[in-house]
Amino acid sequence: MNHAVLTVEALSHVYPNGFQALKDLNFQVRQGEFVALIGQNGAGKTTLAKHFNGLLRPSSGRIRIYGKETRGQKVSSLARTVGFVFQNPDHQIFHDTVAKEAAFGPRNLGFEEPEVKNRVKAALQAVGLEKRAEDSPQGLSRGERQRLALASVLAMETEIIVLDEPTTGQDQTEALEMMDLLGELNRKGHTILFITHDMALVARYAQRVLVLCEGTLLLDGSVDTVFAQPDVLSRTLVEPPQIIQLASRLGLQHILTPEDLVAELLPRRVAL
Amino acid sequence: MIEQTALMDIENLIFYYPQGQRPALNDVSFRVREGEFIGICGPAGAGKTTLSLCLNGIIPHAQAGRMAGSVSLRGVLLKEYTLPALSETIGYVFQDPETQMVSLTVEEEIAFGLENAGAAPSLIKERIREAVDAVGIDQLQNRSLKSLSGGQKQRVALASVLAMRPQVLVLDEPASELDPVGSRDFFQLLLQFNKALGMTIIIFEQKVDQLAPYLDRLLVLHEGCIAAAGRPNQVLADERVSGWGIRIPQVAEFAHVLAREAHFRLSEVPLTVEEGLSLIRQWKGKRL
Ligand SMILES: Nc1ncnc2c1ncn2[C@@H]1O[C@H](COP(=O)(O)OP(=O)(O)OP(=O)(O)O)[C@@H](O)[C@H]1O
Ligand SMILES: Nc1ncnc2c1ncn2[C@@H]1O[C@H](COP(=O)(O)OP(=O)(O)OP(=O)(O)O)[C@@H](O)[C@H]1O
Ligand SMILES: [Mg+2]
Ligand SMILES: [Mg+2]
Repeated sequence: MNHAVLTVEALSHVYPNGFQALKDLNFQVRQGEFVALIGQNGAGKTTLAKHFNGLLRPSSGRIRIYGKETRGQKVSSLARTVGFVFQNPDHQIFHDTVAKEAAFGPRNLGFEEPEVKNRVKAALQAVGLEKRAEDSPQGLSRGERQRLALASVLAMETEIIVLDEPTTGQDQTEALEMMDLLGELNRKGHTILFITHDMALVARYAQRVLVLCEGTLLLDGSVDTVFAQPDVLSRTLVEPPQIIQLASRLGLQHILTPEDLVAELLPRRVAL
Repeated sequence: MIEQTALMDIENLIFYYPQGQRPALNDVSFRVREGEFIGICGPAGAGKTTLSLCLNGIIPHAQAGRMAGSVSLRGVLLKEYTLPALSETIGYVFQDPETQMVSLTVEEEIAFGLENAGAAPSLIKERIREAVDAVGIDQLQNRSLKSLSGGQKQRVALASVLAMRPQVLVLDEPASELDPVGSRDFFQLLLQFNKALGMTIIIFEQKVDQLAPYLDRLLVLHEGCIAAAGRPNQVLADERVSGWGIRIPQVAEFAHVLAREAHFRLSEVPLTVEEGLSLIRQWKGKRL
């Protein structure tokens, strides 16, 4: 098993108004994992994710990144290791051109201009915005701004990438392209943790699912085992994807995609 | 049966943003009948937000650009109304919930529109209670908007508009940040308003997979044009539609793959698990 890159120990978070959003969380994420974080509105997903790059600090308990406690580390230094894409792209976009926005991260990390340029070019290309480099982010649609937010993080090439609902407002083609891109980064060794409400994407891409409910960890397991427990999931207002519901009505297990179900129903083609 | 009259008429609508080289809307025509529940989907950049702004009058009243063609409400062009007059009839939910928020707390935010419309305090109170219950934020009534999660904010935006009970409701991706059960409940709630109050609803949505079963009619916007329209079961049977990046229900996706592999033709696709089961039964029956 790979080593832990992210360790959450007895983590609790209480907001200034006294609301406790996270309650004694304990888990580890290992190098190269592709993890989905799901759960109902207000479950604590964003609150948890913001602890990984120091935007929020534990009220009690601790977070370790590569074994080192985040306490005492600045957001700017954590940003070298953990890239974070916000739930609302407009909370992170503040430059007047697409290229400047994407250059901000690598520039801040202290890279030389030629390297910054290369990274910006590659990142914008990866999200299909290379032709919009000189445009203002205001002239982009919401989905395009979301991809710009991702490009800014890609340009930093951090080992851990945390994404808060990256495919919200994306059409299906864009969502799949974005997830494919994350899959590619994952195969290169990046550890990916993404928050989503799209269970079909979870089934198709994630290796492991963390399910939050009112600040506690309700389930932690493979896609297969998590989606086999609809009654538990319903406590946090999540349902298995439709195809898994259909398969289970037919008494079939281990089906994750529509293609899986067709393959299961059609007579096996016998190779001659 | 009562004759359904045209409530809104959209004719040969063309719109260019000031700097736009291509039209964001390119000859869009359709009619909205009183009491209809219409869904409009389309890939990113297809023109959904632009069209939605033409339906509530922000285009041309408050957004610069070149517009041709017409949008009318009960036979009167939208540009003949003032925006405040339009907003009494047509409720609107912005794509980004934060765009429409003007208050500090949840309760103030929901009361805002009603107070502006001069509603009596007792009615305001009643409507707030109904609205927060309907969208599941009754526990958050006294919270500051800043302290809410993304999905909770979106629920407040929805409650604020529902509390106004507009005759026509236009929504731009209102469920984008709702959890899976939350978005299904919300679409059901819209259907309830549609049926019980005769509210006409035009909803722009990427979550077609969850929305489709509730709609009278689904329109597909593609590159600024209406590229397909009809009952959702039929529209989503058109293979071009999934090719355009529309998020169709997984059982519909399954039906497409099955039809391709098993060599049969589909004139309608299933939208729900039940409909998926009955397709499988039918197919097995014929095959055996
Ligand atoms: N203010 C603007 N100025 C110039 N062009 C714009 C502006 N707003 C939108 N556009 C362009 O008009 C087209 C239609 O945009 P619109 O926002 O209506 O699409 P959409 O279907 O709502 O997309 P999304 O699913 O991403 O919200 C796009 O090509 C977009 O880039
Ligand atoms: N600044 C704040 N002050 C007080 N409470 C907060 C604050 N921010 C969030 N909360 C509360 O903490 C809980 C968790 O919020 P969080 O944003 O982490 O939820 P989430 O799981 O990301 O939800 P969503 O799916 O809606 O984005 C919610 O009940 C929210 O109201
Ligand atoms: Mg969140
Ligand atoms: Mg839009």
